[in-house]
Amino acid sequence: MRVVIVGAGEVGFHLAQRLSEEDHDVVLIETDPDRAEFAQQQLDVLTIVGNGASMSVLEEAEVRNARVIMAVTSRDEVNLISCLTARKLGVEYTVARISNPEYYNRSSVLSREQMGIDLMVNPERECAWETYQLLQSSAATDVAHFAEGRLQLIGLKVLEGAPIAGRTLLTLGEELEDRHYVTAAIVRDGVTEVPGPNSTVEVGDQIYLIAPTDEVKDIPPLAGHPRFALRRVMIAGGSTEGLYLAKVLEQHGIECTILDRERRRCVEMAEELPRSLVLNADATDLELLEMEGVSGIDGFVAATGNDETNLLSSLLAKSIGARKVVSLIDKFEYLGIVPRVGIDASVSPRVSTVNAILRYVRRGRVITVASLAGIEAEAIEFQVEEGAPIAGKALRDVGFPKDAVVGAILRGDEIIVPRGDDRILVDDDVIVFALPAAIHDVEQMFS
Amino acid sequence: MSLRKVANVVGLLQVFVALFMASAAGVAAIYGEAESALAILAAAAITFTVGGAVYKTTTFEGDVTTREGFAIVTLAWAATAIFGALPYLLTGTLGSPVAAVFEAMSGFTTTGATVFSEIEGLSHGMLFWRSLTHWLGGMGIIVLVIAILPYLGVGGMQLFQAEVPGPTPERLRPRITQTAKLLWLVYVGLTLVQTLLYVAGGVGWFDAVNHSFSTLATGGFSTRDASLAAFESPYIHWVTIAFMYLAGVNFALHFKAATGRPMYVRDQEWRFFTLLLLGAAAVIAALNLTAGSYDAIEPAIRHGLFQSAAIITTTGFVSADYESWVPGAQMVLFTLFFVGGMAGSTGGGIKAVRVLLLLKHTLNEIRKTLHPRAILVARIGRKPIKEDVLAHVIGFVVLYLLLCLSGALVMGLLGMDPLTAIGASIATVGNVGPGFGAVGATDNYGWMSEPALAILSFLMLVGRLEIYTVLVLFHRETWKARRSYH
Repeated sequence: MRVVIVGAGEVGFHLAQRLSEEDHDVVLIETDPDRAEFAQQQLDVLTIVGNGASMSVLEEAEVRNARVIMAVTSRDEVNLISCLTARKLGVEYTVARISNPEYYNRSSVLSREQMGIDLMVNPERECAWETYQLLQSSAATDVAHFAEGRLQLIGLKVLEGAPIAGRTLLTLGEELEDRHYVTAAIVRDGVTEVPGPNSTVEVGDQIYLIAPTDEVKDIPPLAGHPRFALRRVMIAGGSTEGLYLAKVLEQHGIECTILDRERRRCVEMAEELPRSLVLNADATDLELLEMEGVSGIDGFVAATGNDETNLLSSLLAKSIGARKVVSLIDKFEYLGIVPRVGIDASVSPRVSTVNAILRYVRRGRVITVASLAGIEAEAIEFQVEEGAPIAGKALRDVGFPKDAVVGAILRGDEIIVPRGDDRILVDDDVIVFALPAAIHDVEQMFS
Repeated sequence: MSLRKVANVVGLLQVFVALFMASAAGVAAIYGEAESALAILAAAAITFTVGGAVYKTTTFEGDVTTREGFAIVTLAWAATAIFGALPYLLTGTLGSPVAAVFEAMSGFTTTGATVFSEIEGLSHGMLFWRSLTHWLGGMGIIVLVIAILPYLGVGGMQLFQAEVPGPTPERLRPRITQTAKLLWLVYVGLTLVQTLLYVAGGVGWFDAVNHSFSTLATGGFSTRDASLAAFESPYIHWVTIAFMYLAGVNFALHFKAATGRPMYVRDQEWRFFTLLLLGAAAVIAALNLTAGSYDAIEPAIRHGLFQSAAIITTTGFVSADYESWVPGAQMVLFTLFFVGGMAGSTGGGIKAVRVLLLLKHTLNEIRKTLHPRAILVARIGRKPIKEDVLAHVIGFVVLYLLLCLSGALVMGLLGMDPLTAIGASIATVGNVGPGFGAVGATDNYGWMSEPALAILSFLMLVGRLEIYTVLVLFHRETWKARRSYH
């Protein structure tokens, strides 16, 4: 598939990287020659120096032969015009990165359809939303959503004294018959495994479960985590993501304190956040964190816009007793160390945006893809099309790859927890959890 | 600062004032008061000639600068009060020029403090002139000129801002001339409705028009010695309460409601103003009922509401002698002296929005002692208030209180008892009219010495133009260009 990406910034660069690694033909358009040169050297993509909103540049990129255009510069208007122009030139799908809420609000005079844009992605909002989900599901290290939020994939650690520890999945399945959990993966000593009926869950495992959203809250106690309600959150750092998160928290009636070291930014935020407390302070000021009651706080999010400061701030908060600490981390290299140093979870603004975009553009009728930060695995939501090899067959007969598991089947409003004799029908939405080795096989079965 | 420009606008304004003065002569003529009619006409002629001459001999070129704006507004108001005093002098109604200027200033600033102990003996022409000064001053004489003449052009906003009450006037239309026109339209409309409601309640046309002028301007001059207490009908009182209240509300809100976009409830200042008024009235009614000042509930509520509205909107009408009420009820009224109407209303005082903002700021300061590093923003409704606006408001309130205090101090030095001194000071700075003590509900200012009247006239002007406009003229840098080194 040919993909045109406009803008080789953080988001554009990593989109290009991910897509080219998945064997797609990527054309990258960038105005800044230095940045274009850098991308050319680092990635196996074609780069064009020019304005992605200009018709001649888009024609040069042969956008009419492309399946998708992804306009992900930091300027909304450029992205909108790129998509509009590309649509007129005949591209099939358009994806625009849009930060200004006025452009994607449902109340906007120009609807998404009228502007000819198939997907609008707001990186900061995606990130804030993901962080909020992590805070809400206390024990989770990862959260991903499927089927418009009806299903969740959550990852969490099994603690000492967990009711499920030391049992096989088969016995657990019998005991928890009225629950709709599917264990998608178990990570033990750094090795990810898609479990079979005889696999056991041990203390210290990282487990990944797929469950209906309304049942997710019952999972942490099974893994030995105390129940908790999110009441008070502190956000260290007034980055765009931090501000969005504060707004989300305000909307949900959660008491929020947000701090930033720049006084002007604080005033801006105080004007936008009527119910939050805004502090002019440094995210690593231990004395202040203690004074403002971080010990015992339900949630602490480090969102300064600087990875190192975020890590340090998170560690400080954890050390003085914040219950759930989430750090925003942009550098992939750092993502691995987060669980090791005792920070509860991390969210990568870049990864969440790239995820949001990739969901819509995979081969076949892929609806959602979630890449998990900690492990090499993906959860993919497929829509079953007429003629797909898997359609109409019972699960036990299709020879599903060993390193993949069907997490749920959505048929209309019904959520089915699959057993061996369940059939997959045309128009079902199917959520599959797969290790990298199995992704290709799984995609074959659905296309 | 071009004095020529300033004189030009001030002169032109007097031509307008003269035309209105002539209409008062017309009213006198209708009632067959030939002597009065001629005297007022003479006053109008003098005003017209002087104003016209100044206007013709000066020129207005270019735009109004900030400094010129302040000078124009202040001097225009002062000149208007001086020429407006001529009818009192020429008809022989008042002998003292100072008392006449006081009466005219009290009229134009919509204060409603009077030097007359008996007004029922005045000619119809003079009574009408008194009420007319209220009505002109209520929405603002400058706003009127801006509405009629596009002549002031770009600088119009300067003048508009200097004259319209409140921290930041609202523009209803892109052009300032249109905004001024719309405000006057609402003003005239409400005046008309009130007059008709009065007439429907059996009030004569003359009393109806005069009291409507006085109510909508939140003035307080009446055509009766006993003010509104002269009308015994509860209906008349209720109509007056309703229109005093309407005059105390931001006229921009009325305009929006009239064009089908009612936004009263959404406006936090409106909620604050309305609840404060109702709360004060309820407390007063309860206190008066408990103390036995009234036997029935309706009069207790009516007079409580009437006096609360009269004071908070700074109208200053009197339906009952509030000085005979229990001390608690009097203190509630005393507190209302410091609130005033809403911004963009015709009321005086500190203005509800400033009081509200100051309360919010104070709460923030208390909260800040708990969180020393907190950045807290005061809001009106959802709108965050910028720090410089807040500083301006704090400065205003401090100046206002200082002005009340120094006014009272000077009155005391002139020999008044403390209650009267404080009452006279807050009633004139706030443009209310009646105060406490010897200037209370049933008293007047006629007994005061000329120096006292002169100082109170000044306080009325400063209060009406919201302090800064006038006081800035006393700053050295207004008159001298700041030396520039580049």
